[in-house]
Amino acid sequence: MKALCTAMLIFVSSLSAAGQNPSYQQDQQWIAPAAASGKPNPLTNKPETAAGGRKLFLRNCAECHGPNGAGMEKKHSADLQLPVVQQQSDGALFWKITNGNASKGMPSFSRLPELQRWQLILFLRTLKATGPAAADPAK
Amino acid sequence: MRPNVFQFVLLAFSLAIPCAAQESPFVVTYTHHMEEPGNLELETSSTVGIPRSGQTFYAAPYMELEYGVTTQWTSELYLESSSVWGDSTVFTGWRFENRYKPLRREHWINPVLYLEYESVNEASRIQKEIEGGGPDLISSNRELRGEHAHELETKLILSSDFHDWNISENFIATKNLSESEGVEFGYAFGVSRPLARLASGSNCRFCSENFIAGIEMYGGLGSTLDGFTPRGTAHYIAPVVSWAVFDNATLRLSTGFGLTDQSNPVLLRVGYSYELAGFGSRISRLFGAKR
Repeated sequence: MKALCTAMLIFVSSLSAAGQNPSYQQDQQWIAPAAASGKPNPLTNKPETAAGGRKLFLRNCAECHGPNGAGMEKKHSADLQLPVVQQQSDGALFWKITNGNASKGMPSFSRLPELQRWQLILFLRTLKATGPAAADPAK
Repeated sequence: MRPNVFQFVLLAFSLAIPCAAQESPFVVTYTHHMEEPGNLELETSSTVGIPRSGQTFYAAPYMELEYGVTTQWTSELYLESSSVWGDSTVFTGWRFENRYKPLRREHWINPVLYLEYESVNEASRIQKEIEGGGPDLISSNRELRGEHAHELETKLILSSDFHDWNISENFIATKNLSESEGVEFGYAFGVSRPLARLASGSNCRFCSENFIAGIEMYGGLGSTLDGFTPRGTAHYIAPVVSWAVFDNATLRLSTGFGLTDQSNPVLLRVGYSYELAGFGSRISRLFGAKR
């Protein structure tokens, strides 16, 4: 029983260790083709659909990127609040969500309808930096 | 009392995080969408055959444990049984399958390679695929359970996402390693689409964004011994629907209509899956892994 308690303690510690990922480095090999980067978001004129994007984010992305999109160090996931992510075009983010990055463990979300992937991007644009990473965008 | 491995696994189950599980509605047809890495999906399903004259009513419950090894590799274990009306209920065996997606990005057509080892007896009626002439729907469990088969099954899965539609085709070849039955062939084909393109901001359960509907067709294509032919084999066409009951759970329903005398007139299928995120990393941490 003592070992079981220890195991539970390890679990709880591991869950609480899931903090932000300010050390995120962009994968230089993971670049959207120019044609895809230039695609405009068809929902730009419907900002109210970002609420649906938030729901989709919490269902599909928060598990690795955290509920505020700040990334998780233990998952090596991107801090989506960083300028290196936010400066990418809507089309580039759409391409990345659609294709995933197999070498870094990011799955493809092509199973989501196209408009729902655009909704996710609308929501990504609303993410505001809250952690230490925000103070030093160079990171 | 000292905790054992089983208790550790139970603990990992209890602490794993439930996550999104909007699953494909297909029961037989595979798409190129893989299980997310580190996630474990538990599914309990049943295939119920409504008999025609000379056949018997049966239900074949089975359980699936699907694990995302990497973004390109998914493994699955099946445990299956069969219950025949007026006869008996028997454990019919297990299957271990692996799917590998060789291409790292999305393409017009996305291939997936599938390899499965089956240790089942001839009483198996789950019909996760139909190959050769289809299962024996007439003989009793008592007669069939003694015939044990070790089979190797391969599939070529081709799948495309075109706008919001998914179109998938599976080509099946199975070799019974226990007997000289030649190589048996089968097919499955499916088309599906979510009922809503946009997600609403509310956490509704019955709104259309939580449903995916489709249709699939599957059947046998004979064998190298009997000839490569769709004649004299079982074929079904089945409307299918999946419903994301919760963020982490999906209900699948399918009503298959038999198209030949070798098929059941109606094949009802129901499945309920529950997804656990981060299961793999929690298990590794239990056994001392740093990450």
